[in-house]
Order: sequence, then C-alpha cells, then structure tokens
Amino acid sequence: MSDTSLISLPPAAEADLVRRLQARDESAMTLFYDRYSAALYGVIFRIVKAEDEAEDVLQEALVKIWHAFASYDASKGRLFTWVLNICRNLSIDKIRSRQHRVGSRTQGLDDSLTAQRQAAPTTFRPEHIGLQEITQKLVPEQRQIIDLLYFEGFTQSEVAEELNIPLGTVKTRARTAIKVLSKLIR
Amino acid sequence: MENIQAYIESGILEQYALGELSPAEQAAVEAAAARHPEVGEELAQVQQALGFYAEAHAIAPPAGLRERVLGNVMAQIAAPAANATPNPTLRADVDAVVQAPRATSAPVQPTAGEATVRPFTPAAEAPAASRSLWAMAASVALLLSLGVNALLYSRWKDASSEVVALQSEKSRFATTSQVVERQLGDLRQENQVLRSDEFKAVALAGTKTAPTAHARVLFNAATHKVFVDVRSLPALPAGKQYQLWALDKGKPVDAGVLTASTATGQGLQLMKDIASAQTFAMTVEPEGGSVNPTLSTMTVVGNI
Repeated sequence: MSDTSLISLPPAAEADLVRRLQARDESAMTLFYDRYSAALYGVIFRIVKAEDEAEDVLQEALVKIWHAFASYDASKGRLFTWVLNICRNLSIDKIRSRQHRVGSRTQGLDDSLTAQRQAAPTTFRPEHIGLQEITQKLVPEQRQIIDLLYFEGFTQSEVAEELNIPLGTVKTRARTAIKVLSKLIR
Repeated sequence: MENIQAYIESGILEQYALGELSPAEQAAVEAAAARHPEVGEELAQVQQALGFYAEAHAIAPPAGLRERVLGNVMAQIAAPAANATPNPTLRADVDAVVQAPRATSAPVQPTAGEATVRPFTPAAEAPAASRSLWAMAASVALLLSLGVNALLYSRWKDASSEVVALQSEKSRFATTSQVVERQLGDLRQENQVLRSDEFKAVALAGTKTAPTAHARVLFNAATHKVFVDVRSLPALPAGKQYQLWALDKGKPVDAGVLTASTATGQGLQLMKDIASAQTFAMTVEPEGGSVNPTLSTMTVVGNI
C-alpha cells in the first residue's frame, strides 16, 4: 500500500512530529497546525457549516488533541486519521446538540448543499485537483452517500431511511465509493 | 479465509472508520485487524481513502484564524505547565533574590536577653544595605536577561514559523506536481494507445434507441488490452452505468463498466482484457454492471 496521500507527511517526518508532540514540545504544535489545519478546518466547516463555530471546534479539537497525545498509538493508524476522527466527532457532537434544539434532521441535507456551493473555490488551489478527480470518478449516488456518512454524521441506517433505499444498497454503495477513492490515491 | 473475506465485505470496517460503532464493537474490529493482516490492510485502506476524501475538501481557514486559534490553544496548553515548574534554575534565582533581604534583616532584630549590649547599628546595617544593593543589581540583571531571552525567543519563533511556512509551501508544490504528474502519466498512456499500430480502432455507432451516440473501442488482439473512448453517449438515469461487452462468436463477454468521467468523454479507460472478439457493444446496466447484457438497452455497437 502506498503512502501518497496528498498532504499527509512522509512516515519519517510524521513519526518525528508525533515524538515531539508526545514530548510536549509546544513549537511542534505550530508545525502541526500549519500542516493539518486546512484539511481539519475543511472537514469541520463542512460539518458545522458556520465559520465561527468551525473556529471554536478547531480550537477545541487542537486542545483536546494536545492533551490526548499520550494515548495516540501509531500502530493503530496514521496521525492524520486519528486527528481527523477527533475533529469529526467533535463537529458531529456540535451539530447533534444543535439539531436537538431545532428538532429537525432533514434540514442538514439542504444546508449541506448550500454550504458546498458557498465553499466553492474562487481561486485555484491545488488541493481541489483532488476534488475534481473525485467528482469525476464517483457517480453522484456514491458521492451523496459518502457525504451523508462523512459530513452529516449519518449512520448507514439513517442514510437508508433518509434516501429511502435498502440498507444493503447503502453498504454496497459506500464500499464501492471508498474503493474508488482508494484507487485514486494509488 | 472465506470468513475473513465475508467479514471485510460485511461493511463493518467502513462503519468503524466512520465512527459508527460502539466501544465494544470498535475493540472487536481492532482485535480482528491485529489478528488478520488482510483485515488490517483493508481497514488502513478504508481510513486512507476517507482521509483522502477529507483532504480533497480542505479549505484554507479565513485570515486571522491561525493567530487567534493558535494563540488560544497555546495559552490553554501552556497554562497548566507554567504552574508546575517553569525553569528550575530561574526559579532558584528568583527565590534567592526574594529571600536575600529577609535573611539579612534577621540579625538586626534585637533579642530580649541581649538588650543591654546593643550592636553598633551603622556597622550592622552597612552589610545589609550593600547586600540589598546586590540583590537589586541581581534583579535588574535578571530582568535584563529575561528581556533579552524574550527577544531571542520571539526571533527564534519567527524563524521557526517561517521555516514551517516554507515547508508547507513546499509540500503544496509537491502535491501539485504529484497530481499533475499522475495526470501526465495518464495522458501519456492514452497517447501511446492512440498512436500504437497494434491497437485497432473499432467504431461503435448508435443504435435505434440512441442514433446520435458514438464511441470507439481500441482493441489490441496481441495483448488483449481494450480501451474505450466515448465521443457522445446519452445521459444515464440514476443508478445506471454503461457496460461494455465483447461478442465472441455471438457470445457476450463482460468487458467492464464505464466510469462517470469516461461516459462523459473525458478520456480513455482501460477495460477488462478480452481474448478474442468480433463485435463490441455497450448497454445500460444497473450500477456495478450485470452478468448478462440487457439487450433492449444496447446503445452503441460496432464490428471489428
């Protein structure tokens, strides 16, 4: 398996960063921020869909990551995967608590579409080459399911309910979509 | 073996990666990944794919956010550390300065028993005064050195953040060139196929259902490689994909499904190897393809 994920660090540099962070080296936090903030902010923003809240969540996540570093186990997965999950979970908690207040589940879908339109890049950014490729290679149904699962925090059963399709179909489409993404990396 | 494949295909690894599982279920997946390398490998791939998806959606945070967030984070993570012990030697210096006047004042205090024998005050105060002078000088020196340290620290931090900025710029360039290189590689491969004499172009013309449809198949009979090149195909209904078939002595052989980008004519796509064929045709099938062609949906067809 290759390690050519777009902005992830090469393994040696990642190990070095992890070592410094676990040794409570605060200057490593700046390096960490500069390396991962755009990716983390992108995910957080697409989940919470508001700039001020995204900033809060990013800050909260960074503090949490700093304190949780001792429990990060490199043998269980890449650093990026680990921090991404922390950010996703915090963001999903955020929208869940909000949705509790509003009491609506379906609103998220419309919001996400507007957010995607708003977030369309106005200038050329290399990372969007990846996005273009994804848009071309994933059929719309697959992309919709991945977005619901990844950015809306839906479970597979919730997706099945929302789209009114069998759970088996959701599972197959999710798996196929993830396979397509894997192929794009290599 | 059979079980592991079934486990992988059950979709539980995707659920794990998406954070849908309970802690107990998570632990079970982690145990399975540790026990079976195939499961571990598959799980890593799923996580990497989702990470890639996340990266592709990266957004540069708004201006000013970096300073605010990093500042707050640093303040929050530095707070408990400062309360503990900042720097043992610095601490000792400060203690010494603070304690110095107190220590010197002690002998000056008259004790009840020796009331009659008064110490010669000027002589006793002189060393105290000079010691407090020393203490003041030491505090000033300490303050100065702290000031210089702060200055040097801020310069060092600036330098290190510049290095970081350069590094991230460098990696961004690397990213761009990596993507461009991959696209160039694809184009080069397409070009080789298009220019090669070994590939035979088979024109596929639209059928009655889609008279304007038009595509080409490039078939290499020696290596059995098949590429498809779409000029124009009708848009697909939701949940459907185009599937290419090779007809060998009238028997249809699956040559694979067309991705969305191929179907809209964005480039060549390498299909499944075909040993021998006289005719190629395309049908509309449910997503993922069918075992047998749905002949009523045949869109284009052409003979070699």
